Amino acid sequence: MAVSDTQAATAGQNTSQRTARQRAVNITGRGADVAFVIDEHAPIEVVARDLGAQLSGRGSLFSEGGVSVNTGGRIFSSWEKAAIRRIFEDNSGLSVSRFVSSVGEDLTESDPAERRPRIRNPFRHKTPQGPAPAGSARPSPQDAGRSQRNRNHAMVVTSTFRSGETLRHYGDVVVLGDVNPGSEIMADGDIVVMGALKGVVHAGATGDNRAAIIALELLAPRLRIGDCEAVSGDGHKLPGSGDRTWASKPGQPLIAYTRRGGIFVSPFTGRFARYTKGVPYDG
Amino acid sequence: MTGKTIVVTSGKGGVGKTTATANLGAALAMRGHRVVVIDTDIGLRNLDVIMGLENRIVYDLVNVIEGKCRVRQAMIKDKQGLELYLIPAAQTRDKDSIEPSQVKELCAQLEQEYDYILIDCPAGIEQGFRNATAAAQEAIVVTTPEVAAIRDADRVIGLLEASGLHRPRLIINRISSDMVRRGEMMSQEDVEQLLAIELLGLVPVDERTVSAANRGIPVVHDSRSSAGAAFIHIAARIDGEEVPVNQIMPRSGMFNRLRDMVGIKGRAYSHA
Repeated sequence: MAVSDTQAATAGQNTSQRTARQRAVNITGRGADVAFVIDEHAPIEVVARDLGAQLSGRGSLFSEGGVSVNTGGRIFSSWEKAAIRRIFEDNSGLSVSRFVSSVGEDLTESDPAERRPRIRNPFRHKTPQGPAPAGSARPSPQDAGRSQRNRNHAMVVTSTFRSGETLRHYGDVVVLGDVNPGSEIMADGDIVVMGALKGVVHAGATGDNRAAIIALELLAPRLRIGDCEAVSGDGHKLPGSGDRTWASKPGQPLIAYTRRGGIFVSPFTGRFARYTKGVPYDG
Repeated sequence: MTGKTIVVTSGKGGVGKTTATANLGAALAMRGHRVVVIDTDIGLRNLDVIMGLENRIVYDLVNVIEGKCRVRQAMIKDKQGLELYLIPAAQTRDKDSIEPSQVKELCAQLEQEYDYILIDCPAGIEQGFRNATAAAQEAIVVTTPEVAAIRDADRVIGLLEASGLHRPRLIINRISSDMVRRGEMMSQEDVEQLLAIELLGLVPVDERTVSAANRGIPVVHDSRSSAGAAFIHIAARIDGEEVPVNQIMPRSGMFNRLRDMVGIKGRAYSHA
């Protein structure tokens, strides 16, 4: 499971502890072919550290020449690939001849920006930059670039997200359970909740207004996407007040997205569908 | 013989942790087990009062841990003659006077000789909570069907899971079937759905629980009490026996079922 550095620093989070023990880079060899297999969930910083340690530790074992790097299901950006090439050159006589995915796809040349499907939200080009929410700094251009790079790194949480638990992840987040009141998730990418979303979430946390929040039940007191924010009118629902046009169909998953500087909600019909008939989110 | 250490916790105060500990201790002892209950609410001890043993306290948990007395000296035998012992908390100290590792050591020692060690956890999630949960192999989370109590229970379940106490089990205390039927109180299903852990039992609201606590005799000794019967069932489940949980159904009747089917919300509480 991939976790950001801030997450790894949080004591008591079982997910982060699990990551720390795993090796990010494994060396497999069959005959003359040596492949470096990189854990697709490990953050690039961890990969770099582990790779450097493994190469310098047994540099003499490897003769000079080219090796292939298996990136698993991950797509490295060009600067990440350059960084990995540099680690090989600095720590051993090896050089990277090619990057491959776990299914054998050659990824040596391609760039993630070209490979990633474009989000066809008709409104995103028109979205004006709304005022930044109080108390949060405007994302720097570096941050925005970083979020773009890391959008492929999804983290899957396979349990209920409970009160008091927080997660800061630099990619997309998928929760296979409920997100309970009092919990917080911040993700640079999308947030998908396969359950009831009742906690505080922030998608596109580095200022990406194209991020979306998808949940089977959308009951959050506050939604944030990029620099847009929507607050439910009143935390406590009294009988009758819970009727909303888009909530009329139980079991209908909903998507929240930004439009004209606000957050709108529509029944979910696909991540890249056109959403035109949404209603402003009011909890 | 190796016993089992179970912590009874809740996060929020006043939901019935101490009452549950006293009653489950007595109910397990009535089933023929040798049971120790430990009060870790140092500075605000109550378990001794509920068990009616306040006057017999000579040594307490802090004395044991500091080595001022032997464990046996601090253990007070139950008044009803059961194989049930209480290690009371110190009233004049605070939670920082003991360490989680020391509680762990004490429980490991007690597990050699007793079947169940029940730990009454203080409210909150600070040092007292850490002391109480360190030694436990299992956890029981007590909650009432109120939004605030459930919120805290959810937090505590998260902390228990993070500290390695997976699969805590849930007791819903003080549930009123009348109020559930009228749609004014969360039903068992609502609570279970939100907290998503195994239900160990339901304890109905019962005036006899209060009077029993005031008399210092756990309500399981009162054969006419519905809460007492519920605690006896829960003790059987802790013991591994299959006892069905009494269902308290919300809103029966044709109209309400239809209303549920079409998804009209008619509840007097918000989503927790």
